[in-house]
Amino acid sequence: MAAKAFKGNNALSMNILAECSTSKARASAMTLPHAIVDTPVFMPVGTQGTLKGLVPDQLRELNCKIMLGNTYHLGHRPGPELLEKAGGLHNFMKWDRALLTDSGGFQMVSLLELAEITEEGVQFKSPHDGSQMLLTPEKSIEIQNSIGADIIMQLDDVVHSSVSGPRLEEAMYRTIRWLDRCIKAHKRPTEQCLFPIVQGGLNSELRTKCAHELIKRDVGGYAIGGLSGGEEKSEFWRMVKISTDLLPRDKPRYLMGVGFAVDLVVCVALGCDMFDCVFPTRTARFGCALVKAGQLNLKNKMFAKDFQPIDSECECSTCKTYTRAFLHTLANTEPAACNIITVHNVAYQLKLMTSMRQSIIEDKFPDFVQTFFDDMFPKKDFPEWATDALASVNIHLR
Amino acid sequence: MKMKFCIEKTVAAGGRLGIISQAGLQGNVNLETPLCTLFTKGGSAPHLSIDMLRRVAGVPDIAVMNIGSLADHHESISDFGKGLAEFTAMKKHLIFSTLQDASAAVFPGKNDKSGVAVWGKGGKIKLDTTLYMKIQESFVPDWFQALSDGDTDKECGPKRLTKSVDRTLDFLDEVLEKKEKSEVLKNSSLIGVIEGGYKEWHRKRSATETASRPVDGFLIEGFEKGNSQKDLFSDPDFTKILLFTMQHLPIDKPRIMETVWSPLQVIKAFKCGVDIFSSAYPYTLAEKGFALVCDYNLPPRSQPARLELQNASPKKDESRELYIDLNSPRYFEDFSPLMNGCQCYTCSNFTCSYIHHLLNTKELLAYVLLMMHNFHQYFDFFQHLRQAIKEDKLDELHDSLSLQITPLDR
Repeated sequence: MAAKAFKGNNALSMNILAECSTSKARASAMTLPHAIVDTPVFMPVGTQGTLKGLVPDQLRELNCKIMLGNTYHLGHRPGPELLEKAGGLHNFMKWDRALLTDSGGFQMVSLLELAEITEEGVQFKSPHDGSQMLLTPEKSIEIQNSIGADIIMQLDDVVHSSVSGPRLEEAMYRTIRWLDRCIKAHKRPTEQCLFPIVQGGLNSELRTKCAHELIKRDVGGYAIGGLSGGEEKSEFWRMVKISTDLLPRDKPRYLMGVGFAVDLVVCVALGCDMFDCVFPTRTARFGCALVKAGQLNLKNKMFAKDFQPIDSECECSTCKTYTRAFLHTLANTEPAACNIITVHNVAYQLKLMTSMRQSIIEDKFPDFVQTFFDDMFPKKDFPEWATDALASVNIHLR
Repeated sequence: MKMKFCIEKTVAAGGRLGIISQAGLQGNVNLETPLCTLFTKGGSAPHLSIDMLRRVAGVPDIAVMNIGSLADHHESISDFGKGLAEFTAMKKHLIFSTLQDASAAVFPGKNDKSGVAVWGKGGKIKLDTTLYMKIQESFVPDWFQALSDGDTDKECGPKRLTKSVDRTLDFLDEVLEKKEKSEVLKNSSLIGVIEGGYKEWHRKRSATETASRPVDGFLIEGFEKGNSQKDLFSDPDFTKILLFTMQHLPIDKPRIMETVWSPLQVIKAFKCGVDIFSSAYPYTLAEKGFALVCDYNLPPRSQPARLELQNASPKKDESRELYIDLNSPRYFEDFSPLMNGCQCYTCSNFTCSYIHHLLNTKELLAYVLLMMHNFHQYFDFFQHLRQAIKEDKLDELHDSLSLQITPLDR
């Protein structure tokens, strides 16, 4: 794709097409080196340079424009040297649309018991050969420069959302210091857009401070991190809202690690534009298909004689081809079932986002939200946190 | 409508180039032999959705579905009411319902006079002919094999072989009787099953007795207990007993073997008179991370194949195969396709290096891509095989493939 004229020095420009007149939801076109991405957008996670059993053609047919890769995994295997020789991850996996890579820090902390964080970086024991390794902000950016994703993330000091006190404060300030080191180390700013990450745990003061610091830097967009780690939903949405309230209107906001349908709808209302989560693809591999009313565990006997598609309104190849009953037989025995259900779940996530986007453009987003919740909770037992969160942006569920 | 088998040309000791006409319940499909069927697991091509299978060229018109993983679900399929082809979304294919999974070993000692054991997800399923025919009625297959006790190999003595042959014939008679009475199955083609291990007397009895009954083709088994992973042809007795068996089968019906065979083994079996083969071989390779890389062109067009020809060592070791092992670190930095010049989806898009990475990280896509390539290559082999037979170049094809044998990757 021909390089667009990007604002400033960033490899990203966002054109807001519509804003909801009630809530903070907005629809935009985000131009990246490899794609123009319609937001709000859900980005499927292709951890190791593949989206779990799917080929890029299948993702293109689902109209997916951007997906994720994980720096921690790719940095180990196949490693940055090979990816550079292969002409970057795009070329290696034959995905010509946009990519986003995380910094690798989150995996270090979540996967590795022995990670130790110092001012220098994250010290950890390699799970492959047991040797001591150090991931610094510079190293993370270097690897991400080799991978070559359209959007790259700063290394942040991630603490579990239950942590508070001095350690949380330290992590927030360190995240800002590390951001400056990342910006300095970034060698391909016109080809890759670096996102900083708002940290601060569940402490609104720290989040506010962090956001204020980040917006002083010239960056193309912002991520909201440190959430979706099992914290109370009532705290989760408040932290999201504090962040989106402070982040500039004209730049994309990426809420990391969020992908449950209800969370997506609420957080779009709160003004987030980008999301990622392994859940839709992971749950598919366990035989669970996502539908308007929640999910279907296709391994369950109740589907043995259910000859409908997963969703009769869904346009994906899975729903046009297979019945729930056949997938029930397959889900219990064959790996092909993983691929088949993954296609549907990705289609479901993307369709949810395009429906929201359409309703925002038509300024009917509050109606969409109401319908979505009525479908998901036919007994009207809406979760309290979601009702509160939506009310905070003037959407009142009936 | 009854399927017909016409021989167009005979080759070597017993090889036949033929056409099966009026194959299938609708009677509108012609199949050229020698052919391979589409191997499936649980009613789907292994690792491949219909959507991905469409991207493979030359997919056979007939799919083999073994009963094991589907038997548990026959009531659902029966309620569905439109048969197995539509249930599995394989409407474009004829369905050949078989008993055992060609790619798997058979668990021994589970068969007796009343029935045969197959393995579903929930464990052993004991099939007597009543249950077996009930399942077949729910499947509405184009072809189905008779129930059989093929759990024998070279080690089996006369007592076991007598049992195997007797039971299989008894099952056949019961199946025939029930088929006659079944509205649903009366138009399906029934494949009789030949047993007898490595003993001529038993093979002859099984073949002649089965051939005297109204069956539409023959499935020859009982040489190994499922997929034993050894090359049957490495034992000269196998060729002998196979040829002997063929002599006692009528020539006007197709002969099927569900064995996991490489292209070279297929050529040998074809020469003995086998017409229909399984495509379980490309699957078993993909499961190990192997890619088929033989060049079937005469002479070979691909550079590596030519190199192999030039460097061919004088001693040919038939246990070596025509594949590469993508697990090998040598592919870490190899940005070429699995096989230069291969037109398959995988080779048109991806590199050895990427597939090596996918295997290394245990990603599902590795098996999807290897399956697509191996299927493409194997299906393509059967095209070339038929062409070579038509052009009297079968020996040339055999020699060309023999010379391409590469050392085993370790």
